[in-house]
Amino acid sequence: MSKLTLPRNSTRQAETWLIGDISRVLHRISGVVIILFVLVHVVVQSVVQVPQWESTRQAMPWLHALQNQNWVHAVLYFSIAFHSLYGLRLLLGDLGFSFDYRRSLWVISGVSAVFAMRELVRYAGF
Amino acid sequence: MADNIKVVAEIRRQNPDADNIARYERYEVTGMPTMRVLDVIRSIYENQADDLGFQFACRIGRCGTCAVRVNGVPVLACQEIAKLHMRIEPLSPFPVLRDLVIDRSEIEQKYEDLQLAPRRHVEHGGKPESMDPKLAEELCHIDRCIGCMICVSACPAVDERSFDGPAFMLSLQHMNMHPHDTANRLVQAIDGGMMECFGCDICTQVCPTDLSPAQAIRDMRADLLFSRRKAKG
Repeated sequence: MSKLTLPRNSTRQAETWLIGDISRVLHRISGVVIILFVLVHVVVQSVVQVPQWESTRQAMPWLHALQNQNWVHAVLYFSIAFHSLYGLRLLLGDLGFSFDYRRSLWVISGVSAVFAMRELVRYAGF
Repeated sequence: MADNIKVVAEIRRQNPDADNIARYERYEVTGMPTMRVLDVIRSIYENQADDLGFQFACRIGRCGTCAVRVNGVPVLACQEIAKLHMRIEPLSPFPVLRDLVIDRSEIEQKYEDLQLAPRRHVEHGGKPESMDPKLAEELCHIDRCIGCMICVSACPAVDERSFDGPAFMLSLQHMNMHPHDTANRLVQAIDGGMMECFGCDICTQVCPTDLSPAQAIRDMRADLLFSRRKAKG
């Protein structure tokens, strides 16, 4: 049948999660995570690298450690992968490619989780 | 026979002429586990609240008249199985006439403004016109839209941006694909906010006729991008 058709359950709709809401919110959250990390990274690198801010660096020793937390890296890698892949999926859709909205969310989330897990495993010493 | 179940339904009640603020009234209905949301509403109307405003027509999911929001998700009341606890509201973002009945005059006006009949260079000859069977199948498929406005109610872009809604885009794509329509439907779609669509496919998930307005929007965007508007006549 046409690519405009996708199967759904019409009798228990109010019980199911709206897949589009999940992907849309995850896309936004991952974008915010990336922006926040870049902001923190720029501030931290400035404090570390600029000699005039040496006193600030000594007053806030936790600042440098903040961006080197393994869980922060895991969240960041998941966010970068998810945001890029979902953005690519939207872009390809506008170029005429057709995707199943459910499958694409699970595949993109899975691939992004692999990046996050890899980072966690790396810090665990494997 | 399965045991009966007791359903608790909170229905949003408002008569805009008399009430400034909507209120939620709680009703309990006992019935079969397979009863639909519409059965619950009708039972409440017949036994507990004879002033409840609601509407329905076909009862088989073909007219779209009974569309309401159940626990925040827009559904056809005649198709959706009743939940043990339901909050039933009229479709948003449309103005409410009373209780669960929305004012569809703005919707009908929008459809009328879109002029959704093929606009031709040459007057119809009064006899059947040839058409590629595959294209005819696609056109018939898209034409199954019942205009229930469930997709518009569920669409986050309609809430956040200046976007008419997926149902109208689907109708425009129907005309965009029609071989005898000469109007520039892509311009109409852009005016209706086509570019504001998030591409999230919520409209595809909730459509009671298994259509994908999101895919129709993507197809129109691709047509726009690759200048694929065919010469028609």
